[in-house]
Amino acid sequence: MSAPNHAPMPDRPVPPIFSPGRIWTLAAATFTQLVRMRTFYFLLFFAVLVFGMSNVNLLYTAEQQLSTIRGTSFGAMWLFAWLFAVTATAVVIPRDIEDRTLYTILSKPVPRVEYLLGKFFGVLLVITVALGAMLLLSGVVLEFRKAGLIAETRIYLEQSPDITPADIQGQLDAISNEGFHPRLFTAAWIILLQAAVMAAATILVSTFASSSLFTIIVGIAFFLIGHGHRIAVDYWSEGGATNNWLAWAAKVVPDFHIFNVHEKIVAGSTAAPFVMAEITAYAGVYCVVYLLLGWYMFSDKEF
Amino acid sequence: MSASSSTPPSPPPAIEARELTKVFPLQWSKGYMVAVDKVSFTVNAGEVYGLIGPNGSGKSTTMKLVLGLMAPSLGTTKVFGLSTSDVRARSEIGFLPENPYFYKHLTGAETLRFYGKLCGLRGRSLQERIGELLELVDLEHARDRRLAGYSKGMLQRIGLAQALVQRPRLVVLDEPTAGVDPIGSREIRDLILRLKQEGISVFLCSHLLEQVQEVCDRVGIIFQGKLRREGPLDELTAIENQTEILLQEASPALISKIQALVQAEGADLLSIGRPRTTLERLFLDEVERGLADARSAGAHSAEPSPPPRP
Repeated sequence: MSAPNHAPMPDRPVPPIFSPGRIWTLAAATFTQLVRMRTFYFLLFFAVLVFGMSNVNLLYTAEQQLSTIRGTSFGAMWLFAWLFAVTATAVVIPRDIEDRTLYTILSKPVPRVEYLLGKFFGVLLVITVALGAMLLLSGVVLEFRKAGLIAETRIYLEQSPDITPADIQGQLDAISNEGFHPRLFTAAWIILLQAAVMAAATILVSTFASSSLFTIIVGIAFFLIGHGHRIAVDYWSEGGATNNWLAWAAKVVPDFHIFNVHEKIVAGSTAAPFVMAEITAYAGVYCVVYLLLGWYMFSDKEF
Repeated sequence: MSASSSTPPSPPPAIEARELTKVFPLQWSKGYMVAVDKVSFTVNAGEVYGLIGPNGSGKSTTMKLVLGLMAPSLGTTKVFGLSTSDVRARSEIGFLPENPYFYKHLTGAETLRFYGKLCGLRGRSLQERIGELLELVDLEHARDRRLAGYSKGMLQRIGLAQALVQRPRLVVLDEPTAGVDPIGSREIRDLILRLKQEGISVFLCSHLLEQVQEVCDRVGIIFQGKLRREGPLDELTAIENQTEILLQEASPALISKIQALVQAEGADLLSIGRPRTTLERLFLDEVERGLADARSAGAHSAEPSPPPRP
């Protein structure tokens, strides 16, 4: 080893109590960790699925074919987002504890809340990049397929003497409307919000869980409860007002039906800006509450 | 100006542990286990302090309390006058855990960049620091190799580099030579001594007593959670009622005279013999001799080789 050159730093600046830079460092490391775990192999599966669907022609009309590609793509994006949010978040913290990487990180000037936020945003970063890639891919396939279907339909319709040019244009416009539309960005945003709530809830569970498996099981159960939420509340409130305990219990888990708006957007509806703001705020409140509870659990945890 | 105002204030100790106690509740019962029991010690600035004890004696728990990874049940720990729960205290500490595991997907340089950024280093100063540290621990050749491909000794060295990344005033080392070969072990010990020369305090936990004896100024012996002995190494290891005389080129006649004198004075002569080198020293000498031979053979490879001995 060569001569050292590491005399204590003179006039060391006082580290900030809260540093977005440290959170970003941890998030970027989590992103790299998950990417190098070959997470994006899922994108290959997605690409095969979308290209496969674009070549399936089961006696559908042109509009139905495009609608099927859209629905399948967004269904796969939705499944990837929430499932990845649970499984990746359930793995990253216990792995740091098992490998004792956590010791070296927390022995640096890193408050525990920053560590949790770094992990949370790292997982979200992977999901955002993956959703972006999937959205781009599905957009390219949709537009490519749309152009082909319009050309085929035009040739077919122009051969029919009974159809007027106005009818032809109307049919082509109908096909064109089924292609990629900017409203699909809002659907992807809602999928991301739901994944963020799942990731925050899983972070909370992993601060006290004894294993990744337990965390994943609880995370999936949480997801199912969130989807059965509305049915349960309706059942409990039948025949009278819901008692206070049930009302509070119902608030612990978010109503995931709220996020199902993305299905309607994919099908062709447009969400009003206030609906989008409301869903964003709803997801934001749950993320903040779960992360604060996670911080409370994690702040006194001993390793 | 008064005399008291001209005297510079003494620096706060690197570590000040007072009545440190850690109690763990036992699972499935109402009992408790006292892992660390009213342990008090001070590591002065610039000092190398060794905490020794058998496995399960409370060394690691004490170290985690010093690092703020655990909260004490009772007592206090301060690092340079700051509570260990204070984030500022941790910017003064560099920590090398036993058998360190880092993110295997990162390369050596990326690992140092990651820890450097956590300590607030950025840009050119961080890049330069990474280069200095890789040179320091002889890992420049492996800077772009992922840690998954590092040997145990290399992991230990990159761990040491990350501990030093922010130029801490205190370095905490947990079994720093575990799994390292004798040459690497010697290099780590040399580095500890150099850290001391630069005024860096070192808190070392080890059960390799010879290693501790070689580098530490002060030692604490912990057993069953209690600090049994503590103090300067020279004082602790000196046998009060014995005296050692080491002679060079002494003739048998001189030794006989000394024996007679000792007998005449009524003292007991406990042993006469030749001092022995350590196995480690022997090993290192042989390796160095082998390297010198190899170099010499390389230099003279053009010359005809001597005939083999019968």
